[in-house]
Amino acid sequence: MFPALSVLIVLPVLGAIAVAVLPKRRPELVFPVALAASILPLGMVLWVLWNFQVGEAGFQMLETAVWSETLGIGWKLGIDGISLFLVVLTAVLFPLAIAASRSIEDRTKAYMVSMLVLEAGLLGVFLSLDLLVFFAFFEIVLVPMYLLIGIWGSGNRAYAAIKFVLYTAFGSAFLLAGIIALGLITGDRIGATASFDFRDMLGVGLPASTQLWLFAAFGIAFAIKVPLFPLHTWLPDAHTEAPTAGSVVLAGVLLKMGTYGFLRFNLTLFPQASVDLAEVMAVLGVIGIIYGAAVAIVQPDVKRLVAYSSISHLGFILLGTFALTRQGIEGGVFQMVSHGLTTGALFLLIGMLYDRRHTRRIDAYGGIASVMPIYAGVFLFMAFASAGLPSLSGFVGEFTILLGSYLTLPGLAVVAGFGVILAAIYLLWAYERIFTGPVVHPENEGLADLGFREIAIVAPLVVLIVALGVYPKPMFDRIGPSVDAVIERIESGTGYVAPIPGPTLVVRAGETGED
Amino acid sequence: MQNAALLPIAPELVLLIGMLGVVTSAVLLGRDRREWGSIAGVALAVAAVLAVMQWLSLGGEPGTLHYSARGLSIVRSPMVVMDAYSAFAGVAIFSLGLLGLLAAWDLVETLGDRGAEFVALLLLAVAGLHGMAMSSNLVLLFLSLETASISFYVMAGFTRDRLDADEAALKYFLLGSLASAVFVYGIALSFAAIGSTTIYGAGGIRDFFSNTIVTERGVLLVGIVMIIVGLGFKVSAAPFHQWAPDVYQGAPGGAVGLMAAGVKLAGFIAIGRVLAAGFAAQIDQWASIIAIVAGISVILGTSLAAVQKDVKRLLAYSGVAHAGYILTAVTAGIFGISALLFYVTTYAAMLLGAFAIAGVVTGPREGPSPFAAWAGLRTRSPELAMAMAVLLLGLGGIPFTAGFVGKIQVFTAAASAGYLWLVVLALLTTVIGLYFYLKVIKVMFIDPVADDTDPIEASITTRTVFAVAVGVTILFGLVPWPLLDIVRDALPL
Repeated sequence: MFPALSVLIVLPVLGAIAVAVLPKRRPELVFPVALAASILPLGMVLWVLWNFQVGEAGFQMLETAVWSETLGIGWKLGIDGISLFLVVLTAVLFPLAIAASRSIEDRTKAYMVSMLVLEAGLLGVFLSLDLLVFFAFFEIVLVPMYLLIGIWGSGNRAYAAIKFVLYTAFGSAFLLAGIIALGLITGDRIGATASFDFRDMLGVGLPASTQLWLFAAFGIAFAIKVPLFPLHTWLPDAHTEAPTAGSVVLAGVLLKMGTYGFLRFNLTLFPQASVDLAEVMAVLGVIGIIYGAAVAIVQPDVKRLVAYSSISHLGFILLGTFALTRQGIEGGVFQMVSHGLTTGALFLLIGMLYDRRHTRRIDAYGGIASVMPIYAGVFLFMAFASAGLPSLSGFVGEFTILLGSYLTLPGLAVVAGFGVILAAIYLLWAYERIFTGPVVHPENEGLADLGFREIAIVAPLVVLIVALGVYPKPMFDRIGPSVDAVIERIESGTGYVAPIPGPTLVVRAGETGED
Repeated sequence: MQNAALLPIAPELVLLIGMLGVVTSAVLLGRDRREWGSIAGVALAVAAVLAVMQWLSLGGEPGTLHYSARGLSIVRSPMVVMDAYSAFAGVAIFSLGLLGLLAAWDLVETLGDRGAEFVALLLLAVAGLHGMAMSSNLVLLFLSLETASISFYVMAGFTRDRLDADEAALKYFLLGSLASAVFVYGIALSFAAIGSTTIYGAGGIRDFFSNTIVTERGVLLVGIVMIIVGLGFKVSAAPFHQWAPDVYQGAPGGAVGLMAAGVKLAGFIAIGRVLAAGFAAQIDQWASIIAIVAGISVILGTSLAAVQKDVKRLLAYSGVAHAGYILTAVTAGIFGISALLFYVTTYAAMLLGAFAIAGVVTGPREGPSPFAAWAGLRTRSPELAMAMAVLLLGLGGIPFTAGFVGKIQVFTAAASAGYLWLVVLALLTTVIGLYFYLKVIKVMFIDPVADDTDPIEASITTRTVFAVAVGVTILFGLVPWPLLDIVRDALPL
């Protein structure tokens, strides 16, 4: 069979090599070649999307090449409903992020190589079924991201870059220890030195105490990536100082490595620990929702505002995941994609404004809507999408999450609901201060509205956000079976029974006597 | 098999002949540098080829041949042993020696007539290093160790006009001698307990443990601990590491690479032989000591490296941490040997490459290599900066480099031996490691050029060295399987 997934990972690498070997005296070639190299994986992803078997829960398009029998390591790739749309999201955001990097003039080549290596690493994270290979991709992402923030960032970039690396590498240390321990246990069960095959690991029934330790080891790495309160302090710095494309990818895809890790590994490999710790994790998620939103309100820097809003949105995903219901998890997967689109778009828009005015302070603007009407319109659209206006994708994700979490954690779901209101406050208040009223600063009077290239960059996101908001069914059709498999796995590994909506919901609503 | 009788020590013979050839060519015949340099290079290359022949002559079997002055086959107390382990060590050490010669060539060119002495000493040192790997007798191990060490003491102070080089040499000599004394004392005590200094053969250490139930361990344990201390000093494991930063910083930039990498390589191979093969039966006694030394090494090494402002000192302290990482594999005894070999060979190549680049950036004769001299290196020499960045990422254990594969190997070995706490500790310190390696990358790529903005041009010899080192780092990071297969078979008898 055609090794579609390997090709998907290798394409950006080949692109990076192609960019690296471009002749020095033809700098004008770097941008088109890099853009082409990021569009090729998108084509491949469409092929994968087309050939994806709807209704199948397990991994598809499997590829297996065993590297070492004794050590149980191999190149094992597969895709299911959970990873499918994260792969799509990655492949969609990268061409846009690269297209938005026209303003990079210093060391363009190295910049594009970093971006393409980053794309390959992220695709590898979502496609690997061997935990050591997964870890290798999980870690390699740090290097291009460090360079992107450190070299092409703004302000205190060296500090932000190293803080980002150290935070996440700290978590990865526990993750690797957990993977090695689990690999040795798995190897022991199947009669080898070790095995790092995810599917082998699923077959190992771990005692509850071991599950708890390994849940913690995996969890701390993913919690830092998400980031979960109180491990989030790297995020505002990294997002704010990163170049536009870096922020887009960081918020759009990198954070999802954490939520994906929780869903893919913690829930399925350590079901008992997941059930035991579900409430703790959900509480942390809700703290993130409220805290991130509250801090976002008072940010004077619009990029920092969006960065904190990510903490809030990712809190929703975590709440949905650890609600341990079908709706919660499906909503979480949906929201991962939706947040990638909306926040990615917001960072792109902020970058476009920054290119014109070289400041991100909200009070440096005011009345921009009158000079940049198209920009203001798109920004408002994205603000609504991010805040969860019905018929846009953000609504579908957050509503499904709230629905799913209400089944098991009604109290938390109610509190989380306030996050939606807070989101409307911080986004619309920021919109008001930047765009409405008269132009207070004379230097803003001459700002040019969005050009054709810039509109072309945000247009696909607008289309996708509307499409997913109006008709999310195709996506849920593909996510559903894989999420069901996760739930079944938790149920069979523990005494837990996931509640089914409908009757339960009615009874609960009747009990509380609302409406 | 008559022809094969000399095979076990043939590489050493070739090196000694080469050494005489260098001295003769330079001193007696007054030939130019190119000639005696080639003699040394050819000698090292031939030695490496002979080591490959040793490996092949074993027919893929792990160790079938013993050798002593009395001939082949298992004799009463063999002095040297030719097994897959020593053959692998030979290939690694002689190749490293050849690279070390190339790395030192810029320095040799500045030494004038005395260059030949330096090269002769280098050959002698390499012979001593491999002697450590093939010794079956602890006394011969000691003699090999001293042969290598004394050569390195001299090489460390070879630029006599520089005060810090003198200081480095003197410090290395005094502390090194102390460690050697401790090591000899350890051998003596273990001899007192066991009645033999030979690892293999009838009446040897292994024989003793398989025939005797040891009840009274006091003297034996003290002996083993002293042996660990002595060898631990040589590989700069904490808390026996204090010499390393000063010596690495003070020694000439062109010489320090082989000194550092070679001693680490041979030292760990000797530790593997003595502990995992020789005292294998006593693993319960020494494994916890090794684990503690490893723990101290990774903590001290990384935390001290993090505050350095000199690349050579940083590499020295990070070397302490790497010693700790490798020692984690030793806790698994014979099951950690493959991991140890993979880690130490790739690490030696990366370290030599990094020092070679330092030798170019701050000069082959110079000692200190402060960050200021590296600032903005990418504009002065993109090639050197890129190569150094790859090597630093490799040392930091970033995925898809040999350093990552090595770390997975040693940590898996330690975890399977039950030292999970050590694995977690070591992994956490690799995060600090990432910090200071990235700090150097930041200095090279993000910081602006300080004062000297001239472009730097690397000579073809050093260029070869770091090209090979970068090649090893990337190749064995992407495709580690061939080397993993080899080290799996390269176990000591």
